[in-house]
Amino acid sequence: MGYRIGIDVGGTFTDYLLLRPDGSTHVHKVLSSPADPSEAVLLGLIDLAAVAGAPVADFLAQVDIIVHGTTVTTNAVLTGNTARTGLLTTHGFRDALEMRRGVREAFYDNKFTAPPALVPRRLRLPVRGRMDPGGREIEALQIEDVELAIAELLAREVEAVAICFMHAYANPAHEEKAAELVARRMPHAYLSVSNRVLPQVRFYERSSTTVLNAVVGPILKRYMENLRRRLAGSGFHGVLRIMQSNGGVTSPAAVAALAASTLLSGPAAAPTAGLAAMQPHKEDSFICVDMGGTSFDAAMVVGGQPSITSTGSVNRFALALPSMEINTIGAGGGSIAWIDHGMLRMGPQSAGAVPGPACYGKGGEQPTCSDANLVLGYLSPDFFAGGRIRLDPQAALDAISVQVACPLALDPVRAAYGMYHVMNVNMASAIREISVQKGRDPRGFALVCAGGAGAVHAAMIARELGIRRIVVPREASIFCATGMLHTDLKHDFVRSYATILGPAGVDRGHLGALLDAMTEEAHGVLASEGISPSQRRLVHALDLRYLGQYHEVAVETTADQLREGAWDAIREAFHQRHDRLFGYALREDDAAVELVSIRIAALGGTDKPAAVHEPLSEASVEHLCKGHRSVYQPDSGGFAQTPVYDGDRLRHGNRLEGPAMIEKVTTSIFVPAGFSLAVDALGGCVLEDQSKRELA
Amino acid sequence: MTWISDTATKVDPIEASVLHRRLKSITEEMGLTLLRTTRSPILNEARDFVTGLYDARGQMLEQTEYIPVLAFALQPACEHIVAFFGDDLHEGDVILHNDVFSGGNQNNDVAVFRPIFRAGKLAAWAACKGHQADIGGAQAGGYNPEAREVWQEALRITPIKVYAAGELRRDVWRMIFANIRYRIVEEDIKAQIGATRVGERGMQDLFSRFDGPRLEACIDYLFGAAERMVRREIAAIADGVYRAESWAFYDGVNEGSRMKIKLAVSVAGDEVTFDFSGSAPQTPGFVNAPCAATASALLLTFLMLINPDVPHNAGLLRAIRIVNPEGSFLNARFPAATTFGNSITGPISDAIFRAFAQALPKMVCAGWNRMLGFTVTGQDPRHARPYVDILFLALKGGSGATWNADGYNHIGLINCAGGILAQDYEMFEIHDPHRLVRHEYAPDSAGAGRWRGGLGVETEFVIEGENVTGIAFGDGAEEEARAFGLFGGKPGSINSIEIGYPDGATIHPKSKAIIRNIPRGAVFRQRAGGGGGYGDPHERDEQLVLADVLDGLLSVDGARADYGVVIDQVSLALDPSATNLLRGRP
Repeated sequence: MGYRIGIDVGGTFTDYLLLRPDGSTHVHKVLSSPADPSEAVLLGLIDLAAVAGAPVADFLAQVDIIVHGTTVTTNAVLTGNTARTGLLTTHGFRDALEMRRGVREAFYDNKFTAPPALVPRRLRLPVRGRMDPGGREIEALQIEDVELAIAELLAREVEAVAICFMHAYANPAHEEKAAELVARRMPHAYLSVSNRVLPQVRFYERSSTTVLNAVVGPILKRYMENLRRRLAGSGFHGVLRIMQSNGGVTSPAAVAALAASTLLSGPAAAPTAGLAAMQPHKEDSFICVDMGGTSFDAAMVVGGQPSITSTGSVNRFALALPSMEINTIGAGGGSIAWIDHGMLRMGPQSAGAVPGPACYGKGGEQPTCSDANLVLGYLSPDFFAGGRIRLDPQAALDAISVQVACPLALDPVRAAYGMYHVMNVNMASAIREISVQKGRDPRGFALVCAGGAGAVHAAMIARELGIRRIVVPREASIFCATGMLHTDLKHDFVRSYATILGPAGVDRGHLGALLDAMTEEAHGVLASEGISPSQRRLVHALDLRYLGQYHEVAVETTADQLREGAWDAIREAFHQRHDRLFGYALREDDAAVELVSIRIAALGGTDKPAAVHEPLSEASVEHLCKGHRSVYQPDSGGFAQTPVYDGDRLRHGNRLEGPAMIEKVTTSIFVPAGFSLAVDALGGCVLEDQSKRELA
Repeated sequence: MTWISDTATKVDPIEASVLHRRLKSITEEMGLTLLRTTRSPILNEARDFVTGLYDARGQMLEQTEYIPVLAFALQPACEHIVAFFGDDLHEGDVILHNDVFSGGNQNNDVAVFRPIFRAGKLAAWAACKGHQADIGGAQAGGYNPEAREVWQEALRITPIKVYAAGELRRDVWRMIFANIRYRIVEEDIKAQIGATRVGERGMQDLFSRFDGPRLEACIDYLFGAAERMVRREIAAIADGVYRAESWAFYDGVNEGSRMKIKLAVSVAGDEVTFDFSGSAPQTPGFVNAPCAATASALLLTFLMLINPDVPHNAGLLRAIRIVNPEGSFLNARFPAATTFGNSITGPISDAIFRAFAQALPKMVCAGWNRMLGFTVTGQDPRHARPYVDILFLALKGGSGATWNADGYNHIGLINCAGGILAQDYEMFEIHDPHRLVRHEYAPDSAGAGRWRGGLGVETEFVIEGENVTGIAFGDGAEEEARAFGLFGGKPGSINSIEIGYPDGATIHPKSKAIIRNIPRGAVFRQRAGGGGGYGDPHERDEQLVLADVLDGLLSVDGARADYGVVIDQVSLALDPSATNLLRGRP
């Protein structure tokens, strides 16, 4: 058994979690290198080798597995630096992609323009040939249209080709024929075919997903090649796995074929990390948040299951591949305060890493959330990032005075507290949104709070929501890198089959054939990743809706239920789920239930690092008190001398009462009066609102 | 920034900012509840609803409209209800309302109001309003171009308690829903009642965080902030009277009829008056607006001219006066038919943009494509069941161009401003017995200009349903109703619908019409027009003109005739010297 490493590349930092064979961990961060992110990845590995006390090649030779999360595809779409791509699509419908169903996200802003089409119209080429919703051919594929399109795309030197035809989910024959011709004539082009990417009904969503896959395909492929070359060249011969948006990992080869599966992978490991952090508490339902420099991510996990959505988007284009359902808002340490006609607002603009908050002294002049936290005593000027970055309280105070306090005729401390308070209310709203949307009351959930900036706000966010218990994991600042080491392999398969659920509607032979094909594909992919049959698990689900509705609900089922045609049981499960999500079910009305799609999630079990529980410590915490400093107490509305504890030396079983500040190298935790703190067996800090204890 | 100290009451601006966020959050939570619990697609798919909180007098505290035309749809009714019930309001009351002659904006838009009490005293209202799938009257669904009076359109619901002090009034409830065709409406009203309960819970949570006087002071501060924001925007406009006219076409009764909107906008200091005096008298058909619909149209257009982030509360309205004499088609007298009222938004915003063109040339936009809608009902032979479809995908034309921005393609009617989605093609074919042949941008539809209008779309499908009836409902099928250009910009293309029958006949429905017995195999074709252009087309960058030609959105002839840009028919190469010559440049 050797080392394992989780590597999470973010916009500002690349995070590492090194897991040693004995179960101990080491956290590391380096600045990212956006031009070629694999550069920074390697630099950090060199640092880790030094930590392990071995030459790089020797160290990497002892690494069994690297799990890697990357945002190269996301950044490519956001910045428009995507591959030159052509689209073959059904004649008469070449604008569906650009139209985005005619939505304008800002009602009253007539200068708000549409995002540039991922493929310009001149490269969206019409092909005659038509299937109907039942997969019957209405018009034969016109080969000369395909040939003409290929000639055009060759002349325009595209790097990638997307193919999306009407109702190809019901019958892929036309797409496959066209794909064959393209592959033959354009062997070097990255090919993205809708029935392979997402054989699912809804033309715009499928087109957009297929095209997103094409425009980032060549970019991800190149990145993967660079990374593998660099790693191999430095002596790494273990297994490399890549994080996907669906919360699972996969092999570099599989991810290169479905590049779009990484587009929303940035925060996708967080719910899994949350599950690991909650393990000592025997709680598998919680809300998991991650607050960094620019954004705040919130996700819900219910009964151990993170919630999954297939209605994601990237730069306002639909991405219908299953992904972790995460609500992201522009709220982070760098969020800038501004006055909007007498109202204090925070963000969504962020000072980012450059110039950064005013207190960084790197030229930032705008007051940010971090500046407020420093003024209020929640951050220490001398111990930010373990003292590596010195913060300038005067600069923070000046920025807040000039730009917030004076315009609002407030004293600067009150202004700073206002900034802190508005941030907390904004983040609480983002949490309320995801929970209300799912028909859940946030009060029943614990809050797992991660991210460098989160733990200063956690208690007050919890109080906003009526949440009693908060867990700040030991590796809060590199939460996703931790999650990656706990993640299984995961692949999603879908087939659309629109019919009424029941013996009259479902052709069991057809359904059986679809299941066979998906099952075979699922086993094939997992086998190619070296997953033995005993480690494989297939989870079946149906997308169902009441007849005439526009949106489906995914309902979990089993292969047996499907093959036996246990429609009543499935229908009842649908009623229950619908009731939970939307507040009603149509049981009594005997409403017909319509089947839309069949899904299989194929999971490949990986060995997880065993959780190493710290022995219980009897020691008191007094010796960990580094001193006192003046910290703003929201309840009393003033500063109080507050004890500061060395958080990195807190041990399992340690307890203390608020008010207190906990300082760690990578984060600081504010424990307000009325909250207690206890350290759990994994070194996580558990904050509890004492006023809500009786509710437990 | 000295105005803060002007406020008489000592208010903590932080507290007010937080209150604003909380109020917004409550209205959004009410909206999420409606999205989750309503059953009609027009509510949970088209999102034709609004949620809001009002103070004890019925003044808007905060509101979230899911389509813009509902921006002012609740306050007039709330004020009416406060006046009507007076002291006879109790905790647990729930009041229903749709009546257009007592503050309603459209018959189909049914509102639920719930009074909220603090220490036994009326303190606030939670309300929401949504478009119902049916509201009684002569025509299922409520759109009845043949209506001459309100009773042929709808059941009038004047303010009525369906719950009194927490008790359901079963008799009242049954009587109301006995007059409405679909049971789904009853369920959707229950969902709306549930949303007001969410609003009440949110307000009560606020009451526990703010004592009465502090809450009131903060709310005054919020009203003041919105008011100051609007006043500052108005003060920046040069004083004067800005006049404009626009036209609505065809009252659905008299062929060739046209109705004038006469508007005088007076800006004086930081106040603005919109005076519609002299507009056409009310029509015999249903092309009439209740005054609340006209006010909503005005407000949504005005929001497009100022900073759109202004808080949506009553302060927003304090600097605005509306003069809209009764008896015109913009404020019809009882018992006029008015279902078309919301659709007069297009002509009303045209008049407002034209008027402000003189005062805010860089904020106004050229004309938006007027809505021409077509609803199809019939029998689906594949499943032997009825179907109905409002063809949103076919009616969504382009918006007008503005300074520094082309119009938005395929955005649709200004009432919704991009808030209503076109159907997905595959789902459309699964839902309806229609085979879609084409849905693409219409080339040469955008009004030419330095910034061009948004593109319209062409739709074509084969009707494979039985017993099919179509209801045409809209405007813009007349030459003069094309989206107008501004400052030298050209108008957008015209709206048109034609139905080709299997026997070779072709019919062109008028803009308000019921077409019965459309045979199976008929082909429906619609062109939704483009938006108007802004500025001299000769000033448009020739590379942008070339790009539209290369993309097949503009013909070579159009480039030459409208833009003075010469492009070779065959090679599609730009001819710079011929272009300079045509554009009169050296």
